[in-house]
Amino acid sequence: MVATKTSRTHMLGRLVFRALAMRLRRVAVVFAALAVGAAIVTAMAAVYFDITAKMSRELRTYGANFYIGPSEGASMSESVHQQVIDEAPPGLISAGTPYLYGVVRTEMSKVVLMGVQFESLRPLVPYWQVAGNWIGVNFDDRNAMIGRKLAEQLELGIGKTVTLVRGDEKRSFQIKGLIETGDAVDNVLIVNLSVAQQWLRQPGQASHILLRVNSDPSRVDAFATELRKLHPDLDIRPIRKISASEGQVLGKIKGLMGLVCVVILILSTLCVNTTLLAIVSERSREFALQKALGATNRSIVGQIVIETALIVSAAVIAGCAAGYLLAQVLGQVVFSSTIDFRAPVLPLAALLSIVVALAAAIVPARRATQIEPAAILKGE
Amino acid sequence: MSSSLLEKATTQTAAIETVGLCKRFGQVTALDHVNLRIHRGEFTAFMGASGSGKTTLMNIMTCLDTATEGKVLLDGRDVATFDDEMRRKFRSEKIGLVFQQFHLIPYLSALENVMLAQHYHSVVDEPTALKVLEQFGMGHRVHHLPKQLSGGEQQRVCIARALVNEPPFIFADEPTGNLDEENEQVVMDFLKQLHSQGRTIIMVTHNPDLARSANRIVRLHHGKYLGEELENAPKV
Repeated sequence: MVATKTSRTHMLGRLVFRALAMRLRRVAVVFAALAVGAAIVTAMAAVYFDITAKMSRELRTYGANFYIGPSEGASMSESVHQQVIDEAPPGLISAGTPYLYGVVRTEMSKVVLMGVQFESLRPLVPYWQVAGNWIGVNFDDRNAMIGRKLAEQLELGIGKTVTLVRGDEKRSFQIKGLIETGDAVDNVLIVNLSVAQQWLRQPGQASHILLRVNSDPSRVDAFATELRKLHPDLDIRPIRKISASEGQVLGKIKGLMGLVCVVILILSTLCVNTTLLAIVSERSREFALQKALGATNRSIVGQIVIETALIVSAAVIAGCAAGYLLAQVLGQVVFSSTIDFRAPVLPLAALLSIVVALAAAIVPARRATQIEPAAILKGE
Repeated sequence: MSSSLLEKATTQTAAIETVGLCKRFGQVTALDHVNLRIHRGEFTAFMGASGSGKTTLMNIMTCLDTATEGKVLLDGRDVATFDDEMRRKFRSEKIGLVFQQFHLIPYLSALENVMLAQHYHSVVDEPTALKVLEQFGMGHRVHHLPKQLSGGEQQRVCIARALVNEPPFIFADEPTGNLDEENEQVVMDFLKQLHSQGRTIIMVTHNPDLARSANRIVRLHHGKYLGEELENAPKV
């Protein structure tokens, strides 16, 4: 046998690793509690930091959130639409179109005609249920779309023709798509804006403009204020119902995730604390003996801290990896997209896991320092 | 010999001295005004029935416990003036502890258990720990865990651990309490050998036969000093 000098650190290492190896089941419980905590925090934090963008994208599918209309009169200049787009910071406006409404006569009855820019309309109203096809270009002056109720009333279907009548003048459109929205659009005939302007004799005019502004409610408000200064003659306002509810939903979801994290971390702390207490109780003779041999309370606490730190390190690595996967599952299930890992996620998860472990180790470490060797080592 | 020991007990400065030592646990008095002087090189046995206070007396002398009343003087210094660090140092440097239940760390080998005492003393020195184990006939079992050793072997490891730092005092609390007759004899022979090498040994036992191995027997009864014998000669 080759005898060697052994450093104190080496001896401490043997004490720590052998002690952990001897109580694998309890160590596994502490590891699992910390890893679950780290996984949940990682997943929730990843979703939390990524949710504004994801929710915003998700809620954007529910329609326009910004209205621009004339302060007085029934119409305004269509050119305002392009001006607003030019004035907005890049990327702020994701969709928008001017709308022009008017009552027109068909061969059968009077109907409401709605003129829009079809290319811009589609991303603004992705929730519309369309049978048949969308009109894909703004210059299409032969086709129209029609609300389902109006189509039923006029007994029109896809491929059929509807004819507008103005005195002796007639203009026919082929129905390309049937629209079901659940609102007033189900009762209108939709044609290209330029066609509507021409037929209604309102060239270059629009009834109003609807936009989808990509931002949180406060920024949408700020944008509205800015536009009002530039266009004092227009009625400019966010559509509160959607903007405010988006903010509320975001706030509630974030709050719920925070609550879930807090509850999980408390449960994790209690679980780790109970298991560490059981370990200290099991090892009371070992600690008593070490004290009798000259160990200080500090060295006993040091052992517990090192052992806990080793478990925490492993749990953080495993927990963060599991949390990443969990975040992706949540992202797919809730938002149908991946969750991007933002910079603060991993440090936050690691920090909270360390805080949990330290909080859980305080009482067991104190208990270990209170061990009285005389009482424990007494042999009878 | 007995008269010279008696003389030493009364005239020389004691290595350990208790003055009016009392220990109470709530309403129970474990030690009741015990006055005792132990000199270097003595092999003293504390003898008495269960609950007589002998282990409590040993615990206070080894700074593992504190007295409720009275003093313990180590080389003339009152241990009450020791802070935690001094008490810790005293335990790691001046005394070796032998327990009835061995108290070996279950996940450390025999060699590592001995090295643990070095770890808390100063420097971990594996060759020295190995040598001490070999002295006690454990050279072939150094890498065995306690559960792989017999009771006698575990006690030998325990004694090796107590001796590895070469402390001047060995305190043994019922060192053969968990051993069979053969191993009991082996352990007592080790203690006698250590005594012959000049170490001060204090042994707690309730077994009169074992106590006779000592050259001084202190009798305790219900926490009181009942008397003592020097080399089997009744003194009080």
